[in-house]
Amino acid sequence: MAVATDYEHRRAPSIGAALDRHYGALVSTAAVFAFLVVWQLAAARGWVNARYTSSPSQVFAAALDIARHDDFLHHAWVSLSEFTLGFAAALGFGLPLGLALGTSRRLRLFIDPPMMALYTAPRLTLLPILIIWLGIGAASKVAVVFLGAVFPIIVNTMAGVREADPRLLQAARAFGAGRLDSMIKVLVPGALPAILLGVRLAIGRGVLSVVVGEMFVSEAGIGHQIMNYGEAMQVGHLMVYAFAISLFGYALTIAVRLLEDRIRSWRPQP
Amino acid sequence: MTRMFAHHQALISGCISFAVILLGWQLAVDLGLVQVFFTSTPVRVAVAFWQEFRSGEIAANVGVSLYELFCGLALACVAGIGLGALASWSRTIEHVLEPFIWFTYACPIIAFYPLFIAWLGLGAPTIIAIAFLSALTPLYANTLSGIKTADQELMRAARSFGARRRDLFLKVALPGSVPIVVAGLRLAVGRGLTGVIAGELFGAAAGLGYSIAFYGQKLKTTEMMVSLVLVVIVGVILTQLLSLCEAATDSWRTGPGR
Repeated sequence: MAVATDYEHRRAPSIGAALDRHYGALVSTAAVFAFLVVWQLAAARGWVNARYTSSPSQVFAAALDIARHDDFLHHAWVSLSEFTLGFAAALGFGLPLGLALGTSRRLRLFIDPPMMALYTAPRLTLLPILIIWLGIGAASKVAVVFLGAVFPIIVNTMAGVREADPRLLQAARAFGAGRLDSMIKVLVPGALPAILLGVRLAIGRGVLSVVVGEMFVSEAGIGHQIMNYGEAMQVGHLMVYAFAISLFGYALTIAVRLLEDRIRSWRPQP
Repeated sequence: MTRMFAHHQALISGCISFAVILLGWQLAVDLGLVQVFFTSTPVRVAVAFWQEFRSGEIAANVGVSLYELFCGLALACVAGIGLGALASWSRTIEHVLEPFIWFTYACPIIAFYPLFIAWLGLGAPTIIAIAFLSALTPLYANTLSGIKTADQELMRAARSFGARRRDLFLKVALPGSVPIVVAGLRLAVGRGLTGVIAGELFGAAAGLGYSIAFYGQKLKTTEMMVSLVLVVIVGVILTQLLSLCEAATDSWRTGPGR
């Protein structure tokens, strides 16, 4: 998503250079802190029903409880392995297909329409039928992660390859590069920023898929626990798991964005 | 002329590839490669589609899902564009909002559906809330970046003609950001639709997602496929509509600033 973060270009109220530089982070932290205080007060004073909203102190207690009594690492491991398998399959399938579609117009004409139809529909709808096909175990979650993640990867790889600099391709061909050579040495590096953008989008979809898949029906995993605690109305516990999975998705997304920035830095700006 | 030919060529090859998929699906079952229970067949799905269409079930399900989607999107437009405009107005507001907005983006909103059911009850309000939160971030982020990256030459021109900050904002930056906001709306529709369908899988008693989960639990593959096909059709139509809007709102711009 294109979010401009050009804070540096604007001037903050001048309280000092250091404060100025960290102004954004300070304000954000203060806002979150204020939110937590209001949440705690609202629950404690009975402005809202704490049974439905929990409170920061309850969430903290729930986190301690989960760390002590819940098999958090086991559930995290189940979700992580389902996510990793599905995502690896999406990369292994999506990158070559995206490359092929980007370079071959004929292939694109035939594959593009059904692919776009699936891309625009929420792939989570396939969850019930995947469960009929693959059972309630890990396989159906791996499949739903794969389906969620593969399309952004294919589409962005395809777009990246198609937008490759024709002058570079021409130059490579003039120096005697074959089809494979020009693909590996010109097209893939050129398409890398677009591919990484696709990977970044795919992470969000993959994380959502694994959680919803496990919530729908499963035997273990973060989503399984969210469902259990949701049905038992143990809101604090539910929130701990929801925060954990959000943090995981967010950290992965940030990591890919950092990689994107590094790659962009060696490419000359057009 | 050649462009028209290319256009039709894409249409023809698209039809061929859909036909091949349907034929392969039908043959796989007829030749006994897969059991009809697992995949149903295109013919059965078409028959069930017609029956559900006649009985009004399709209209009811699509109607509920679209209603929930539009309510959620409308709320997300008001809140996302409003907050985005506010955030572009003041850096402090932007930083106050930022952690919450990005939390709704990073977090799988569906995980909180038991809470929504507790607050709002089973059914439309819960799904609308999930759709709203799913669709919020793209609208907010695109409004903010659309206003921030407003054409600096236009801004300078307006300023030199004596425009004040409010004029700049209302008459240059805000209108200038429309195409980017519409692009955000297209993303929001996709995320909102996912929110509606996934929400209906869990916390609803009507709608396309509900019917998929309902027939899925009864292992009625054919009826489930009908709803799956409908979701794909709804997704394609909405995306096409938004692409048209995007092209239309962008068409008044000319030159390299586009």
